[in-house]
Amino acid sequence: MIKVTEDNFDVEKVLSTLKTDEVGCLVNFIGVVRGVSNGVAIQRMDIEVYPEMAEKQLQIIKDEAVEKFGVNEVVIIHRFGSLRLGDNIILIAVASGHRKEAFPACQYVIDEIKKRVPIWKKEYTSTSEQWVEVA
Amino acid sequence: MMFKVRYFAYFKEKVGADTGYIELDEPHSVNNLRKEISNLHQIDEEKILIAVNGSFADLNRVLKSDDELAIFPPVSGG
Repeated sequence: MIKVTEDNFDVEKVLSTLKTDEVGCLVNFIGVVRGVSNGVAIQRMDIEVYPEMAEKQLQIIKDEAVEKFGVNEVVIIHRFGSLRLGDNIILIAVASGHRKEAFPACQYVIDEIKKRVPIWKKEYTSTSEQWVEVA
Repeated sequence: MMFKVRYFAYFKEKVGADTGYIELDEPHSVNNLRKEISNLHQIDEEKILIAVNGSFADLNRVLKSDDELAIFPPVSGG
């Protein structure tokens, strides 16, 4: 499942959909809104997305992960809109027979998302706002 | 030729709209569009990403009038 949504996600519910007879492990990554960025307190975050392209890119990355690592299934849910501190931003759930392929697959998916999915974060402090730049 | 473009994130704020039109001399390439945007907004070319019909495009790709063009900064999702 690939989803770009304003809504929060229920991790347990998503994971339960991935449990099949062949699946022996679920490796997950959950990104959340941090309260501090470069030593400065953050009050909230906006996330903007180019939805049609983002979904397409996420599907490509998912297919690559399945092909490259041989995992059974990958779920990616990325939120957009106005988020508060501690809110969930992204869920990546990799279902696989064994952990050996699941961990690198999960790492691959988040690393590629940060390079080529058209989504942008903007952080707000008490006095300013700034688009996040990935080094 | 005039090309319709969609702006996202920093560019949307800078332009003050989510869509706009850009006049491009020949060649109508992605590279030329990027140079034009760089000149218009005084932004380094490497900080300008361009998607054609929802995919990242080769800089030498020749644009057609009905292509969906999107202009945005380096991504920061995840």
